[in-house]
Parts: sequence; structure tokens; C-alpha cells
Amino acid sequence: MLLFCLILINMTYPSMTFARVCSNIYFLNDLCRHALLPLQMFFAIERQSGLDDPVRLRRAESTRRVLSLELNHNRDVDRIHGNGINTLDIEVIDGRYMLSGGSDGVIVIYDLENNSKKPQYTCKAICTVGRSSRHVHKFSVETVQWYPHDTGMFVSSSFDKTMKVWDTETLKPAEEFQFDGNVYCHHMSPVARKHSLVAVGTKDPKVQLCDLKSGSRIHILQGHRGEILSVRWSPRYDHILATASTDSRVHIWDVRRASGSLFTLDQHNGDKSKTSSEAVNTAHNGRVNGLCFTADGLHLLTTGTDDRMRLWNSATGENTLVNYGKVVNESRKGLKFTVSRGCSPEFVFVPCGSSVAVYGLHSGELITMLRGHYNNVDCCEFHPDYQELYSGGKDCNILAWVPVLRQPDIEDEETNSKRGGTQAAINPAFEDAWSSDED
Amino acid sequence: MNRKRALIADTFCLTKRRRCAADSVTGESQADIRSSLQYLVTLFSRKLFNDSLPPVVLKHQLYSLHNDKTSVDKQVNELRETGELLMFQLGFDSEAFALVFAEDYRAKVLQGEAGRGTLGTVEKFLTKLIPSCSDLSFNKEKMLKEFLFTDSEITQLVKSGVLTVRDAGSWWLSIPNSGKFIKYFIKGRKAVLGMVKKSKYSEILQTELEGRRTTSQVKFQMKYHIHDIIGAELVECIQTTSGTLLRYVDGNVN
Repeated sequence: MLLFCLILINMTYPSMTFARVCSNIYFLNDLCRHALLPLQMFFAIERQSGLDDPVRLRRAESTRRVLSLELNHNRDVDRIHGNGINTLDIEVIDGRYMLSGGSDGVIVIYDLENNSKKPQYTCKAICTVGRSSRHVHKFSVETVQWYPHDTGMFVSSSFDKTMKVWDTETLKPAEEFQFDGNVYCHHMSPVARKHSLVAVGTKDPKVQLCDLKSGSRIHILQGHRGEILSVRWSPRYDHILATASTDSRVHIWDVRRASGSLFTLDQHNGDKSKTSSEAVNTAHNGRVNGLCFTADGLHLLTTGTDDRMRLWNSATGENTLVNYGKVVNESRKGLKFTVSRGCSPEFVFVPCGSSVAVYGLHSGELITMLRGHYNNVDCCEFHPDYQELYSGGKDCNILAWVPVLRQPDIEDEETNSKRGGTQAAINPAFEDAWSSDED
Repeated sequence: MNRKRALIADTFCLTKRRRCAADSVTGESQADIRSSLQYLVTLFSRKLFNDSLPPVVLKHQLYSLHNDKTSVDKQVNELRETGELLMFQLGFDSEAFALVFAEDYRAKVLQGEAGRGTLGTVEKFLTKLIPSCSDLSFNKEKMLKEFLFTDSEITQLVKSGVLTVRDAGSWWLSIPNSGKFIKYFIKGRKAVLGMVKKSKYSEILQTELEGRRTTSQVKFQMKYHIHDIIGAELVECIQTTSGTLLRYVDGNVN
């Protein structure tokens, strides 16, 4: 690649010597721009010459991939659910297995990895907890989550007022927690090593903490006055928990403290003059039904039925006042949305009606709407390693949004047409370049 | 799609941005908002209220003129801090805020109060309010201790229309005689939205809507209402080859 640049330089500036060019890297940058080389080579050249940190190239490429997400006819997910899909979770260790929970109580595990050497691939369902299983949930499964440290276990909670801890090998529940009301959501801390608490949000205004090690409910957090629609642990500290409820409030808790919450999120940042007096100290003007921490845990996003999404500083609880405009939200239960990871301006993917809206995290502008579902979208999950988005909804489909492949370089195209069209079907990574013909 | 391409180009042209960063002055962007506000003020029909109201602009009308809502909010707040702009909470929607230039407000209020006994109190309130305070509502302690008003003076302020009751012991800042404005505004908004909804496929080109004859319900200029419904996201804006298309958004409360 560098050779290509040097040839270009020789063509345009024949008087320049090799030594002078190498010593003037900035000249090289300007030249690339004027020579209309692909912009991405920019970062590659800077990385190669040591001008830039390697992370920058990675971040720029991730951002480019996220911006070019679209439906790909080569990628499909097996259709197993007979009723809408409420929740999706991709395991953190390998990013290979995905769990999905449906309104029919069925839980399915998919393998996302493409081991066939063809680009056309359907993510197969490896195993299901179907209606015929003895231990299946009686009503709709609202939340599923893999155990954060390995895939031997996962936890699911459902409207049949139970939360089950499943053994992945045998697909039988190892533990079952009973509650008094519908369980809307649960969450296990992704970073916790010292505790294995599951926070559960139910119809009851009290947030329950269940311990997986002892199998009992050890803690209750009091403070809300309505049903708890969403709970989330912070990805930065293992003792910080955020809960959202129908009373329009979001509480941030430190589970080590015996007294109440650390603080509530106030949309007006303490400016009591802005609202009517009943709405003082609320996070939204309606039910708060979605919570999501950013990957570094420094910011928290909340969505509410007042059709607004707000970004908060998670340490101080201050509303950053980023204005996303109208984020249509009619969900009566929790809304599951997600934030990208590893990109330079981060993106928020929110299900809005029958499409997924992509917003810039800190700028608040609507980047694009991903349209493809036939009915309401209920959940979406971002795969950080491949920058792919999986979304599931009431039309029983899980759609995979894959970044558009980069166009092949001009040199590659020429060599391909010489060799013949069949070579283009195989990914060059899988090409056999080492066996000798004699075998 | 255009936004995506522009964003990709932005991400990769970081060096270009660094050079341009020095050029973007905040003063320039403030002037942007001010000029948009002045343009919207011209759309306000003064004669309708017999010149007793200052020109009122709604904050979300600015969103239809500028792309970045967060920066619009920031600049509006800056103008409020300097005392150039006043913001009011109108009663009908918790998110609808009215913006009035401070000099206009002061002039009209004093004009309305001329010859009445409450003139002195109102003037005192305005001098305390305009340069320093940018609150939307006041409670009793603030009025008594910070502003040093007596109860009877507060009653006079409420009578003159500068304060409206919010609940026991607290008041909203308001524009005198704004009741008529709110009534006409809500009626007009409903009528314009009805026009969009009744069109074939519930969508209409913006230029066509501007050219339509308004019914007797619509008292303001059509453009004023169009900026309002676009900014409040009651209609979706779609760019087509024949111009901007406004499509009615289902699920509106209106």
C-alpha cells in the first residue's frame, strides 16, 4: 500500500526524492486527499507510520461500519418463535450465542458464528425450551440474560411471576424464585465478582435483590411508588443500580447502603420553576420504561412514555439536556434499547414503532431509521465485535443488521476479472494459499 | 442517507475539522438564533390582538429552522441568561414554551398598564425580573424575601396578568392578555393539522399547504403554524424531488 502511494508520488511529483517524501509525512496526508484515495486509507497510513494510536483506526472503522448498517440477504436468523419476541441477549465472553425470549414463554439459543465458508448463513437455533418442556414458563418471558461470566447458566423472568435460573446443558431450571406480581425485568451485574445478586423489578414498588449463591431474596430497596419497569446495574461499579418505574422516577441505589437511594434523576436539574408542582423531581413526564448505561458507565439513558429520551451523567444525576426530539414510545412494559460500543461518536439504537431509530449519543440527532420489521419492534441488541445489530419484535422475526461490505479496491477487481467470477464468492480469508498441488 | 454519508465523511476528515474549529465562533451561532427569532416574529400577526400583545414565538418553532436541537436549546438558554429573551410556560402543553424579546415584553406590559393603579408595582417587578432572573415560576418565599414584595403587591401583579396562579403559594410568569393568543393558537393548530390529515394519504407538500386558503379558525399566518407543527413533530418532514412533504403522524393526542 505504501508502495502504491510512492508510485503515485513519483507520478505527480517526479522531482521529489524518496528521502524527502518519507520525512514529510504530513505532505503525504495532503497528497492522499488530493489524489482522491479512499478516505479510509488515511487512517491506515497514519497507523502504519506510527502517527496515530492503533485505537483510532479501530474506532474510525467501527463507526463507519455502524453508519452503514443495513439488512443483508445473506444473513438470517432461524424463525422459531410463534409469538412476538420480547428480549434478546448476546453473551459477553465470545459473542457467539444469543438468547431470545418470546411472548409464548419459549426461550431459544442461537449460534451466531458463521463457520461455513459461504457468505450466505442462517443463524441456527441450537436448543429451545419449547412449549413441550416441563419447565417452560407459563406466560410471556419478559427478560432473559446470560450469566455474565460463562454460558453455563442463564436467567429468565416472566409474567407467570417466576424467575428461573437455567442450566444450559440440561435446559432444566436449577433455581426458581417466586414473586407476588408480574416480573417485568431483571438484571445481573456484568462486572460483579464479589456478589451474584440479581435485581428484579416487579409489579410491586419494592425492588428485590435475589442472591444466586444462597438462593434466597436477601434485600429489598424501597423508594418507588409504582411498578418497576426496568432495572440496570452499572457496568462501571458493581454496587450501583438504577431502577425506573411508572411513578415517573428513576432512582440510583448503592446496594451496600442500608438507607434509601443515592439520588433520583430530576429532568429539570433542580430548577423547580420549570414544571407544575406535581412533576417536581421526576425523570420524565410519564412512565419511565427504558434504561441503558453507556459502555463506560459514565452516562445513563432513559426513555419514557412522554416520547422523550434523556441522557444523564450517572455520577451526579445531572440531565445533560441533549435533545433527541420525539422518540415515539408506546410500550406498556419495559423498552429494551442499546448503545453501541467502540465507536467514536457513540450511537443509540431505540425501537420506535416498527423500525429502529439510530441517534448520535451526544449530539442528539437522528441518523437513520432502520426499517424492515413488519410489526412493532420490542428489543434490540448490539454485537460489539462485529458491529451488528439484532432486533426482534411482534412479527416473530429476529433481523440481523449487518454493515455493508467495503467495495473491493480497483486492483483487486482487475485481478478478479482475470481469474474468473467464481473466486469472488469465497472470502479471501478462507482461500487455501498453502497446500501444494502435489498432495 | 445524506446524513449518513456526511457523518462518514466527517469521521474521516478529522484533520479538516481541526482547522475549521477555529472558525466556528459561538457569536456567529447566537446571531443565527437571533435572526431566526426575528424572522418568526415577523410571522406573528400583531393586528389580531390590537397591538396589546408582544410578538410571541414558540421554542419548538426554532427546531424546524435548525437541525441540531441541543444547540438551539443551548443558545436560547444563553440569550435568557443575558436577559435578552424571556421564556414562559404556556398552560396547554408541558413542553411548549413561549419566547418573547425582553424589550418587547416590557414595552407592551407598561403600555397595557398605563393609567392603572398597578403600574408602579408592575414596573418594580419588571426591573427586578428582566436583567437578572430567568425563572419560569416563583413561589411565595422568593417573592417575599428576595424580591421584597408584600402580599397586596402580589395580588396586584396577578390582577395585572404578569403572574398566573400555579398552585397554592406559587405563580407562573405569564404574558398579560395571552389567553386569547392561546385559544386562537390551539384552534389554528388543530385546523392546520386537520387539513394535513384530510389530504389524500394524509400528506401534503409544504408549498401547497402554504398556498391553501385558510378557514376562519386559522387566525395566524399559515407559515407560523407550519413551523409550529414541524417543530413539535406533529408531522413528519420528508424531502422529495418536488420539495418538502408533510405527512401526518399517527398517534398524536391532537
